[in-house]
Amino acid sequence: MYAPLLANRYLTSRIIPMIAATAVALCVALVIIVVSVMTGFLDMVRTSGKTLIGDVVATHDVTGISYYQEFIRAIEALPEAVAASPIIETFGLLQMPYGPGAGARQLETVQVWGIEPESLDRVANYRDKLYWRAPDAALAATLLPTDPRLDPAFDRLAQGMSLTNLSGEAGVVLGIEISAFNERQPDGSYQLETPVNDILPVFMPDTSGVTLTLVPVSDRGSLGGEKKRRFAVVNEFQSGVYQIDAQRVLAPLNIVQEMLRLDPAPIVSTTEFEANGRPKVIGESPARATTIVIRAAEGVTPQALAKAVREAYATLVDRLRNDPATATVAFTMPNQLSVMTWEERLADLIGPVEKERELMRTLFSIVYIVSAALVLAIFWAIVQEKTRDIGILRAVGASRAGILWIFLRYGLLIGLVGSIAGVALAWIIVARLNEIHGALGSPAPLWLRIIVCVAVAASVFMLVRGAMRASALRVVLWTFATLALSVIAIALVLHQGFMVWDPSVYYFSRIPSQLDWVTASTTMVGGILFSVVGAAIPAAYAADTDPVQSLRFE
Amino acid sequence: MTTLLNASNVRKTYRLGRVDVPVLRDASISIEEGEWVAILGSSGSGKSTLLHLLGGLDRGDSNSGPIQFGDEDLRKFSPRRENHYRNRDVGFVFQFYHLLPELNVLENAMLPALVGLSRLRWHREKSALRARTTELLTTCGLAHRLTHRPSELSGGERQRVAIARALINHPRILLADEPTGNLDAETGRGILDLLAERHAAGLTLVMVTHDATIAARAQRQVRIVDGRVV
Repeated sequence: MYAPLLANRYLTSRIIPMIAATAVALCVALVIIVVSVMTGFLDMVRTSGKTLIGDVVATHDVTGISYYQEFIRAIEALPEAVAASPIIETFGLLQMPYGPGAGARQLETVQVWGIEPESLDRVANYRDKLYWRAPDAALAATLLPTDPRLDPAFDRLAQGMSLTNLSGEAGVVLGIEISAFNERQPDGSYQLETPVNDILPVFMPDTSGVTLTLVPVSDRGSLGGEKKRRFAVVNEFQSGVYQIDAQRVLAPLNIVQEMLRLDPAPIVSTTEFEANGRPKVIGESPARATTIVIRAAEGVTPQALAKAVREAYATLVDRLRNDPATATVAFTMPNQLSVMTWEERLADLIGPVEKERELMRTLFSIVYIVSAALVLAIFWAIVQEKTRDIGILRAVGASRAGILWIFLRYGLLIGLVGSIAGVALAWIIVARLNEIHGALGSPAPLWLRIIVCVAVAASVFMLVRGAMRASALRVVLWTFATLALSVIAIALVLHQGFMVWDPSVYYFSRIPSQLDWVTASTTMVGGILFSVVGAAIPAAYAADTDPVQSLRFE
Repeated sequence: MTTLLNASNVRKTYRLGRVDVPVLRDASISIEEGEWVAILGSSGSGKSTLLHLLGGLDRGDSNSGPIQFGDEDLRKFSPRRENHYRNRDVGFVFQFYHLLPELNVLENAMLPALVGLSRLRWHREKSALRARTTELLTTCGLAHRLTHRPSELSGGERQRVAIARALINHPRILLADEPTGNLDAETGRGILDLLAERHAAGLTLVMVTHDATIAARAQRQVRIVDGRVV
């Protein structure tokens, strides 16, 4: 019964165990924060990527997939699929109504997606990605009062879903980062800017439009003449993936088909002619889409869905080729499509991040060893300090195992206290990572600068007082305190804010701030285990100590 | 009277660097039950070493003679029996008190009792043990110091706590190594009075000292010179 009493007393009545527990806490917090951010980053890549493309993506080249409506109907008839949506993926030029100088117009190379909003919403939650919409209660609670989304005048959900403005004009939805004046605020929102050259540089409300230029490509690979069209900007979207938000423009599918000549067209004979000399129409080439995004049914894996989609396409092509009405076009259709799961499609994005995370996990696992070494060094000092106590305990009948257990228990308690404190510290930091980042990105507030300057003055006063009393300890301690506070004060005065997490470098506009509880649990167990390991050698040394030698120890 | 401890031809050699230093050379001593024996000797004569061997804190050389406790030979004790012997059969009082600084007076005094208790027995016997320790400390004149730490006590009070600790498990023999060596004369007299009270109550007492006036309080005095009891 003496072991718990002594272990608890040793823990609470000395400064050394507090230092050991602090060291363990810092090591544990470091590992958890790094791995949590990396895991959150990976999860955001995966989640954001998935919500944009559904579970499975079927694609063909720029010439598109003919009879895609039939293909979608066949997919939606599959028990493995819930919904499918056609998309045309292409590149284009986007001209803004403003630019950096007077009269200049921003011109951007963009990735254009022709979409059907309703079906895309069923597959990839398109509605949730529209930025200018009335926030739901949960989102509204997290927004600052100045956030324009709280103003009903900025609700453009209906326009975003129909891709038309209130005048019935066709519209596009831009990625939130495309507009050069759409600068993210530290809280993650996008505020309306003041007008530049008398034009409001944010498109909401949609007072001005943009011009989109696309170039059609023929079946033989030759370029057609460029097609220009003016669109109203009906909304903006935020996927959370910076590269997408800075490059992608969503436009109505039928208009993009038209501009790229992927809309329905007559097929004419090269040998037969009408009486007026025009080639005879022998059929109709259906509209085409380059991509079909598909959502899996509940409980169906993307791999199973991809397999079913491949089979459905093969069946469809067979049927179309056997139907005289469709055979002409069907024989030009490819035998197979590229059907990929969302993970395969995002492999180039996810793969490196996964490797980075594992690398980080491995590198930071060395911190465990540092933690064990720290505990070992501290325990060695504790055992040295407690040598006489060990002799006393042996003299009153304590067994070697009892002595071993005191110090193992001591290590266990330090590991437990340190690890729990480390998890709590990590949780506090991770949960407020974006706020901390926002604070780093802003100049230090005046009150904080004043407080630190006053602290510097107080520290100098204490230093002088210590010197006058000829106390070496006070002089040394207050010299260090003055130096540290002076460095902090200078840093705060000079600090004008810097963004560590640059969204133009990283993919996301916000730092992932979800604690990875699996990592937290394993790190906590690791922290405790390594503390016990660090304590084991000094504990065994203590147990083996000769009681007579210990009692003579000074 | 029955013999409680009997050491015959005990040898103990310490190795200092490359030199073997014999401390005890065929030392023999017999302690009868209820006796108060003072072991006298100058510094380095081997008296503390003999006390450590009698108390099972140390072991003699491989060619050393036996130390009999009743009909048991201390040399043949298992580690478990050795711990039990130190915990139950003997009590130690040291010159420098050797109290644990993190524990208060009550906890220091009950430490040997705690060593012998499992968690279950501790919960069952906690109140009784506290009461017994408090009573013992009261008889040692420490009723007002129960929650104090050793650093808050005088030298005499610390030695009284050490005596209470040595007595808490009702040992059959108390081994005291210069119990007054670190105290002034008056405080030392108080400690000897306390030991005398215990001896009068039937406790067997072996006391090591280099002071003949202190040794005079004992029933029997033995002298140790150059590692031999003379």
